[in-house]
Amino acid sequence: MIDPAFIQGLIKILFVVVVITAAYIISTRNLLSLVSVYALQSLSLVLIALALYSIEGAPVLLAIAAITFASKVLIIPYFIATIQEKVRIRRDIEFHFLSPTTSLIISMGLMLVIYIALSKILAGTHARESFLFFGAVLGISLMLMGMMVTFSRKRAITKVLGYLTMENGVLLFGLFVTELPFIIEFLIIIDLVIVVLLTTILTVGIDSTLEDYHKRLHRFHLWEEEERP
Amino acid sequence: MILIAFIACTVAALLLIAISHTATRMNLVCTAQAVLFTLITVYLLLFHAVPVDSFIIGNQYFFIDHFGIFEVLLTSVIFSFAAVYARGYVAGLLESGELEKGSLKLFYVAWTLLLLLIVLAFCSDNLALFWIFAELTTITSAILIATLSARENIDAAIKYIFVASVAMLFSFVGLIFLFETSRSALGSGTLNWTELMQHAAVFPPGMMVAATALVFIGFAAKSGIFPFHTWLPEAHAKAPSAVSAILSGVLLNVGIYGILRMFAIAHQNPAGATIAPLIGLFGVLTIGIAAISMLPQKNLKKLIAFSSVENMGILLIGIAVSTPLAIFWVLFHVMAHSLTKASLFFSAGILHRQYRSRVSADAIDEIRDVFRLQPLAAWGIILGGLAIIGMPPFPVFFSKFFILLGLGSISPLVLAAVLVLLFIAAVALGYFVITAFTQVTPPGTTPDIDRYPIPLSMKVPIVVLLCLAVILGLVFTSGEISFFNQIVAELRF
Repeated sequence: MIDPAFIQGLIKILFVVVVITAAYIISTRNLLSLVSVYALQSLSLVLIALALYSIEGAPVLLAIAAITFASKVLIIPYFIATIQEKVRIRRDIEFHFLSPTTSLIISMGLMLVIYIALSKILAGTHARESFLFFGAVLGISLMLMGMMVTFSRKRAITKVLGYLTMENGVLLFGLFVTELPFIIEFLIIIDLVIVVLLTTILTVGIDSTLEDYHKRLHRFHLWEEEERP
Repeated sequence: MILIAFIACTVAALLLIAISHTATRMNLVCTAQAVLFTLITVYLLLFHAVPVDSFIIGNQYFFIDHFGIFEVLLTSVIFSFAAVYARGYVAGLLESGELEKGSLKLFYVAWTLLLLLIVLAFCSDNLALFWIFAELTTITSAILIATLSARENIDAAIKYIFVASVAMLFSFVGLIFLFETSRSALGSGTLNWTELMQHAAVFPPGMMVAATALVFIGFAAKSGIFPFHTWLPEAHAKAPSAVSAILSGVLLNVGIYGILRMFAIAHQNPAGATIAPLIGLFGVLTIGIAAISMLPQKNLKKLIAFSSVENMGILLIGIAVSTPLAIFWVLFHVMAHSLTKASLFFSAGILHRQYRSRVSADAIDEIRDVFRLQPLAAWGIILGGLAIIGMPPFPVFFSKFFILLGLGSISPLVLAAVLVLLFIAAVALGYFVITAFTQVTPPGTTPDIDRYPIPLSMKVPIVVLLCLAVILGLVFTSGEISFFNQIVAELRF
């Protein structure tokens, strides 16, 4: 058995990793590294789930770690990277109205507000314990940071990554606030995969002209061929 | 058993679509599916005690009570009419090249799946299950919007997915809160609606307020409530009209259904008193933003879409009033709005085919000589417009009247403001109809527009739906009243 204090220290380090990745996702313009950073963020979530498992021993956490690893560390980043390579968009320099610096400052403010709000709402529940509580705060903050990315970037593919970050936040929040039944976690990941598939396919369309788009879809076999007369 | 019937029906429909080659046959399959769904629901209604017991439903996570069966029936009826209408409409789209033949199959597959997903959502007892089905309906309906080969459609679909999915994640956090609340109060957590309703009174109010508010955000986005309404006008205006009718007549109800179910839980708890004014505030803001956006609107389908936003605001006000009478009329309004709005979008679709502008889909509708070219659609818009602004004898009149009466007993000042806003919305609709429909080619010159031939399958749904609306407004059977009363009783208002 590993010392719980050591595990808690480990979780705190992983929290820092999550915060740094989130800050990177908010501020970077380089699309290729965005995907790998997202994969790193998901990986740290997997490790957090495993660390929690070693403390609490609930098998649900193990299952969550496994499914998160499969979907968010492997499948989704691979899929987005493939699409990106084929579409050849490398940089997203069009920010709608928030510059990276402003976004970072806003997200720091958000974390503070969430900390205060959550400490009021969760007062009295077991989630108020110090490090569990910080996980919940981080989860909601990550979610709002993802939302900022979704609404402040112009390219749909960056929006997708914002949405994915949001979902990571929800997962983090769920891990620390309560023990959700596995089936619910599973459902949300199914939803996530479908949203990502669909939006990236549509994204290919939005970042190119329409004729190109149909040609591309044909090439990827994502669209049916013209039917026999 | 019933769920298996619904699913088997859909699987059969999907297989038939996969092997059929013509648009008409695929359409026939969709129509058959929707009609079968209607028949199954009517069978349940007539020959089974509602709430239907779980053996007949076939799964413990699902249930069918009066509210569910009401929504399922409404959904299947609107889908049936929309499928009939789509027969002529899709043929027109194919002819003009706006819909590619390759995407036809995708269109009908998404259509069939959407009906199943909506029905499953309405039958879910578990809120998380309801959440996932609601989320999947967003995705399938976005496919329906995006199948038209125009860039604006993809834009509209992506906007819809992002606004709705992002908001739905907040709902999910709300559900996590709810789960934790029930776990701290009951020992073992649950998201089962029937169980939550039983125990809601003992939940800590602070957590309940947070949970309800977060869940509200997601379903508000699904039903186009301010400030999450931004996707709605574009999606409704860009989608093929048969799809617009479904979006407005059925999908918005999914959001309202979620809000009502969640609010019913909060209503059992002191939290209800905190949440109700909040919902009412959003209702008033929604009506306000809709009315003001309608005034300068030059695009008929966008105008009708904003009118949907306005009606969702009225529903929220009814929910906020939260007396049994108000909830009764909220349910009635859901039904009246769906039928009327579907018919309006069908009429607008005919005008859209007739006057589609060659420049862009978003250009001002150049309506001219409308009574000579498309008399039925013109009258459909006029009568449907009168119905939706709440003229007697149409059913919307009664529901609006009684909901606003309930509002008046709480705050006459807000009532006055809402009445002014509703008046603005009515004026906007009237102004559009008067200016657009009175434009005629001056006598002596030869008109340069040919009449667009409208097949019978596009005309029948408009007439039948309007007749249905009039009948609902004039005849109140005792069965109907007791049915609605039972829903109100089951929601424990």
